[in-house]
Amino acid sequence: MSLTLELKKIKRTGFFPAFLAGGIIAGAFPVINTAARPEMFTSMSGSAAEILMSANYETIAMLNLLLLTAGACILYHIEYAGNGIQKMQTLPVSESGLFFGKAFLLVPSFFLMLCIEGTAMFFCGIHWFGESVRASAIAGSTAVGALAADFLRCFGFAFLLTLPAALLLLLFSSLCRNMWVMLGIGIMCIFLATMLPDDNFLISLFPFAMPFQTYAGADRDLVIRCIIAAVSETLVIGLIEIILIRIRRLFA
Amino acid sequence: MNILTLTLIEARKIKRSKILLILAASILILWIPNIINADMNFQMDDIGISPENSFFIQGFMGMVWFIYPAVMVICTVLLIQNERTNNGILKMLALPVSTASLCLAKFILLVALAAVYTLASAGAYYISAALASGIADYDFILAPEYVLPMAGKLFLASFPMLTVFWMIAVLITTPIFSVGTGLASIVPSVLLINTKIWFLYPMCYPFYILVTEYGNLAKNMSSSPIEMIPWIPTAVAVSLACLIIACMSFGHAERR
Repeated sequence: MSLTLELKKIKRTGFFPAFLAGGIIAGAFPVINTAARPEMFTSMSGSAAEILMSANYETIAMLNLLLLTAGACILYHIEYAGNGIQKMQTLPVSESGLFFGKAFLLVPSFFLMLCIEGTAMFFCGIHWFGESVRASAIAGSTAVGALAADFLRCFGFAFLLTLPAALLLLLFSSLCRNMWVMLGIGIMCIFLATMLPDDNFLISLFPFAMPFQTYAGADRDLVIRCIIAAVSETLVIGLIEIILIRIRRLFA
Repeated sequence: MNILTLTLIEARKIKRSKILLILAASILILWIPNIINADMNFQMDDIGISPENSFFIQGFMGMVWFIYPAVMVICTVLLIQNERTNNGILKMLALPVSTASLCLAKFILLVALAAVYTLASAGAYYISAALASGIADYDFILAPEYVLPMAGKLFLASFPMLTVFWMIAVLITTPIFSVGTGLASIVPSVLLINTKIWFLYPMCYPFYILVTEYGNLAKNMSSSPIEMIPWIPTAVAVSLACLIIACMSFGHAERR
């Protein structure tokens, strides 16, 4: 019920086209980057997925986070703009339901974006690394399939690790009446993540630092720990939002 | 009404917007890690830059590559969206004031915010350099005759970028697109400063200037002087074009 309501509300805000455009721009980045200097990348050692991810993923993660900020901002801006939130509060709809309805819009749109980016990276892998991919393929599995599986794992990991940041951005957005305040907080968190040292595991668990982790090249232990941390952070942020909504209602 | 009065009115409108708080917080986030990591500046032997120059460049690098443009995008959002709430902009457009001068007044305020931000960054540089000097027992402080003109140069170089951001904010009325375009346009500057066509991309001007300065200060890095000829005319043309387009289309969406 909440979800269909949210879908209707978001219709004319350009939310989906923005994510589509963002996905295409972020997906174009590795293609342009590799096309501009293919020898530099093909001569590197390591698997195609590793090289491509380390060359391009940081920029892609940055673009993802920036677009998630804009997206989360708009989802609650439409409520605050014409005092729509007050009308929502008088309806027999729970406020946390509103939040999760919006989260179920934001997360799949982000997923769509990642799919476009993953496909673009896969294309880069096939197009420029075709030979080395075939050479290093494990017996029994086809080369292209192995590459696809590599990227599926990479982007699946990226999706899970970006969830806490996405929810946290939505939480900021639900708390700030003015969109520039929310944007300011979001941007500062992203900036802080780029300033933090990346050798400390605890610091790398900062929700905005996690999306910059890459699956390719990381060891299994770290990957599992990161996934556990991401899932638990997502749950905690959801819980915090529920509590904050209750507290805010007490003081409203 | 002259443009000065209009600008002062605009300044009064954003008084309670908490924008100065956002600017201050972003400067804190920028400089605190620099103070903590100040001893990293002693490990720059392979680049051949002195620790005090490295401290200055690292701090300002973080500022011009991301947070300064991003904060300016937020300022454009503030200037535009502040008036959309409760349709304040409709009342302004109904006044016997030309829309172009309204637009210009808001832009002047944006430039003023940028100037405040640059100055505050220079101030924060001195505070953090003093603190880092105390911690590391090494004099990180550079002479104001060097730091202030450099900050001024970065501010001037960011002027075309500000006009582009302002044009984006005025032209694109769908908030998600104007914010998204503004923020996303910051990211490619990392790539473009290494290309020959950097002067075509206003968002990378301040970054380019600082990277060139880095090359000049470091002995082991190649340095090339900034070529003024394709750059200055392009920058002037871009700024003028963006400002004229913004002033012409200001309030268009509301008057429909």
